[in-house]
Amino acid sequence: MNYTSQNQKDRKEMIEAIGVNDVSELFDVIPKSLRAKDLNIAGGKTEQELLNCFSDIASKNKVLTSFRGAGVYDHFIPSLVSEVIGRSEFWTAYTPYQAEASQGTLQTIFEYQSLICALTGLDTSNASLYDGATAVTEATLLALRVSRKNKILISSALHPEYIQVLKTYLENSKVKLVFLDVSRDGAVKKESLDMNFDENTAAVIIQSPNYFGVIEDMQALSVITKKKNSLFVAVVNPLSLGVFKAPGEYDADIAVGEGQVLGSSMSMGGATFGFMAVKKALEWKMPGRIIGQTVDKRGNRGFVLTLQSREQHIRREKATSNICTNASLNALAGCVFLSGWGNCGFKKLAEINISKARYAYNKIKSLKGFKSKFGGDEVFFNEFVIETQKDVDRINKVLLENDILGPLDLSAYHRTLVSLGLPETQENFKKCLLFCVTEQRNKCEIDKLVEILSKI
Amino acid sequence: MEKLLNELSTECCPAYNLDSDIEIDVQVPENLKRNLSLGLPNVAESDLLRHFTNLSRKNYALSTTFYPLGSCTMKYNPLVNERIAKFDNFTKLHPYQDSKTIQGVLEIMYNLEKDLCEISGMDCFSLQQAAGAHGEFASLLIIAKYFKSIKQKRTKIIVPDSAHGTNPASAAFAGFDIVPLKSESDGSIVPEKLKEILTPETAAIMLTVPNTLGTFEKNILEISKIIHKNGSLLYYDGANLNAVMGMVRPGDMGFDIMHINLHKTFSTPHGGGGPGSGPVGVKAFLEPFLPVPKIESKGNEFILNYEKPESIGKLKAFVGNFPVILKAYVYIKSLGAKGLKNVSEQAVLNANYMLARLKDKIDVPAGCRCMHEFVLAPKALFKNAVRTLDVAKRLLDCGYYAPTVYFPLIVEEAIMIEPTETESKETLDTFVDALIKIILEEASLEPQKLKDAPISTAVGRLNEVEAARNPILKWK
Repeated sequence: MNYTSQNQKDRKEMIEAIGVNDVSELFDVIPKSLRAKDLNIAGGKTEQELLNCFSDIASKNKVLTSFRGAGVYDHFIPSLVSEVIGRSEFWTAYTPYQAEASQGTLQTIFEYQSLICALTGLDTSNASLYDGATAVTEATLLALRVSRKNKILISSALHPEYIQVLKTYLENSKVKLVFLDVSRDGAVKKESLDMNFDENTAAVIIQSPNYFGVIEDMQALSVITKKKNSLFVAVVNPLSLGVFKAPGEYDADIAVGEGQVLGSSMSMGGATFGFMAVKKALEWKMPGRIIGQTVDKRGNRGFVLTLQSREQHIRREKATSNICTNASLNALAGCVFLSGWGNCGFKKLAEINISKARYAYNKIKSLKGFKSKFGGDEVFFNEFVIETQKDVDRINKVLLENDILGPLDLSAYHRTLVSLGLPETQENFKKCLLFCVTEQRNKCEIDKLVEILSKI
Repeated sequence: MEKLLNELSTECCPAYNLDSDIEIDVQVPENLKRNLSLGLPNVAESDLLRHFTNLSRKNYALSTTFYPLGSCTMKYNPLVNERIAKFDNFTKLHPYQDSKTIQGVLEIMYNLEKDLCEISGMDCFSLQQAAGAHGEFASLLIIAKYFKSIKQKRTKIIVPDSAHGTNPASAAFAGFDIVPLKSESDGSIVPEKLKEILTPETAAIMLTVPNTLGTFEKNILEISKIIHKNGSLLYYDGANLNAVMGMVRPGDMGFDIMHINLHKTFSTPHGGGGPGSGPVGVKAFLEPFLPVPKIESKGNEFILNYEKPESIGKLKAFVGNFPVILKAYVYIKSLGAKGLKNVSEQAVLNANYMLARLKDKIDVPAGCRCMHEFVLAPKALFKNAVRTLDVAKRLLDCGYYAPTVYFPLIVEEAIMIEPTETESKETLDTFVDALIKIILEEASLEPQKLKDAPISTAVGRLNEVEAARNPILKWK
């Protein structure tokens, strides 16, 4: 392919206008000794060849019926979402620097911010971050900036990759991370929270549903946190907010999370988007783009990038974050996704997740050799942990033979956390399986899963 | 004026609805249950489609207009890339699938890393980072970890004043102190001045080559020598790589570490502000510090290796922005070595052609030749309180997106133009005609026309000061 559009005649005229004999003269400033040899890169394929070639490569991947979540989920994506994000006026635009010529992008992000605020019950949302993991990290940094303290209490049932990312970001800082224990019922131990506070504690970070799918008692955890004058950071699955308490209801200061469940395909876990909403008092400290409403000369409503003096292109090394390009198109998908359910429909979507997961949970835990890891009283959204006496590798091997992506084996989880510096006293997750059942799975698929498990 | 979603909301049937073949039976304890109203709009699908379609039409985009944003490389985004990225066997994959079931994905990532090595002259790449600034940040963590590993305390990063704002922000984010370096009027670095600010604590210098004024760093070999003699590292900001593909390689110039913006040089769309991808490339001695997982080839199979004890860790969850990575790889396969070199030749030719037409009329601080972009300094021509901002807004009325303005910071009232290789001579000519007319004629004869601009866009000039003074950041 060749995507340039000059013909020989144009080229000749342009070279003459510049006053050189040849295009290569324009590169004379590069020292001869440095000139690259011919690159060794295959290519030059036509569109048809590309389609064939990449169909072949794609066929080396396998699409499976998924019972696996752990941060990325198979959810229904309405046709309208792909239609809208497929509009080239959206996907071929840049960051909306020229507001008057970018009202489409700006108004949709403003709507996105409004929808995220509605969902979380908080005051102000930014325009998106890279993903859930970096959103947790940015929330932590925000809390550190605001409080000027340097200790963070963090749930050890936070997604291990989120913990990894946070540790990466804090590598060269003096911040102290203290991990909160998880009790036998799969939720954070309240005593552990109480115990670890001191005057230097900037914030408490709790994920709900947590990595094991368990809904935390956010209200109670937040109350303890507030008594100690620390900030409460809620890491939430936005779909679960159709049924479970909104961060604003339990006085969270910051809510963050992964937006993939709001209209982005799984695509290996990226590209997705991270969201962040905060209380009004924190909005000037937020990272990332923020869109605001204003008026034009004639008094018409319009939208612009605002509160920009927080950002790197103005503040350089004193900016609240280095983020520039974020995940705008995925946030747009989130906006379109959230705009079409209505309150009842969105609640029903969450309820279907709960009901289907509960149906599968009840069936699986009553199979011989399988039991609930957390005793059976835990409240969960669409993920749950089952302990088994069977051979875990064999379970997933047999499921894979049936084109099923089985539950996540948690045996490596303990090792991961210890390597991240978590205390050895953590619950052991050997022989434990993390299942996920979303609205995408039907009764027939769940029954088949159960049947296969029963035969292992 | 397009209504907001909450203003469109009625008692109608909302757009989406789901049924369940399993009985919906949900009991949630009171202390966990949501009581707050969701506050979501109720809008029919037909109305939503109109709403979003109408909004899309209020955007200037590459698919509708010339978009000469300097330093952003707004080149054509090939449709075949988008089509391939929509294949089910790419979109419906879970990141925790067994690596045997995602061999196609790993093959693409592995081969893209190899191609980026060949293009850049680096030895290894990581594709995990989600954007350019994310790549910068990862690189700075690698630099920090490297010096820690050889037990040297180096806390300072030199950043020229012509650099993108993300450079100092990323370095500060990674825990370094910033040492600004004043560059010359063409954005270049004087080796003597560099020597003056080097200390045993200097970890690295971040350079953009060609720089943000569009000139190639002619002293790069000497700079490389000076930096390395000091035991410091040389960092390449790849934002402007589109100028030099197949011509010169950062690795050969002496750079130790770099990032690339796949959403610039490698044609993946900007999406209104992401998703992007910011691969990091390093010389072999820095390889142990790259993020995990590393994609490796073992026998006939590709695997993800998490066992890298010296790695800086993870920069985001999972393996990276795979759809963006895929599109960039398709682009490279569509062009091959010859096509990539042609890209840079045409990009530089286009920029120089525009510059040739403008240089005798408008001041150009960096001189009469450039690489893929150039910066105009029209201040001396402005009378009647006209500013660059007015020129930018007037260009919108002429049907063009505006160039980057007020950047780089070292040029007052800067206008930064990057045409890219995918624009025709005709487009360049008509744009240059319009720009000359605005700056040389309208600005003096009809200044009000500029002050009133834009008048043909969805809204007129917006009051940004009011937006910041009285923030309205969501529906009322």
